[in-house]
Amino acid sequence: MSTTIGQDRIALQQLPIDAAELMHHVRGLEDGAMVTFDGFVRNHSHGRATKFLEYEAYETMALGKMNEIVSQLHERYAIHRVAMVHRLGHLEVGETSVFIAVSAAHRGAAFDACRYAIDTLKKTVPIWKKEFFEDGAVWADGELPPAPPEAKSAS
Amino acid sequence: MPDVAPMIRVKVLFFGRLRELLGKSEDHAELADGATLAKLFEFYAGKYPPLANFRASLVASRNQEFAAWDTPLGAGDEIAFLPPVSGG
Repeated sequence: MSTTIGQDRIALQQLPIDAAELMHHVRGLEDGAMVTFDGFVRNHSHGRATKFLEYEAYETMALGKMNEIVSQLHERYAIHRVAMVHRLGHLEVGETSVFIAVSAAHRGAAFDACRYAIDTLKKTVPIWKKEFFEDGAVWADGELPPAPPEAKSAS
Repeated sequence: MPDVAPMIRVKVLFFGRLRELLGKSEDHAELADGATLAKLFEFYAGKYPPLANFRASLVASRNQEFAAWDTPLGAGDEIAFLPPVSGG
């Protein structure tokens, strides 16, 4: 499942993430910098040895929220192109679960936008991971996305 | 004619620990027109009592946007009760 806003690349996929291909796509001749974030599966969690992870998503909503984040990046930062790809399904230790690349004429905007992108993704995109250990499995602690306030109507 | 509120039908999706708790990822529910997300959650908590423990650690969505619990439902809505997200 994927969408393209202009030259941006936004996707959820079962297949391994091809970081080199995404970086090639994002890098333009008018740019002077690219910042990437490579999130990958750690071999431990809360002091236990992780065997593998399973990711699932509310795919249509997740893609919508990823599109919103990329739109915000263009509004807030002087950047050029963005790639934001999250993997779903079974992931082994060391495999990339999320990859973000941001290109810009100057490094400051690229750093700031990439940081905002991963921080916001982790707070607002409906994706969940289950951690599998030798002796069991748990859903990872996560962040509760903020909901709009309730209408304080008197009726 | 019996004097009853018109009923609406909504689609309800479950993910992560809720999907495991309920043993399904999708359901359809019928409610009185004008019922809220909170009311729909109460309906499921009645059917699956352990679900009630999760209320404070869930956020609701209506048609793929986060929504307040007092949001009224409409016919054909796609609703989900989302556990804390843990992508990345």
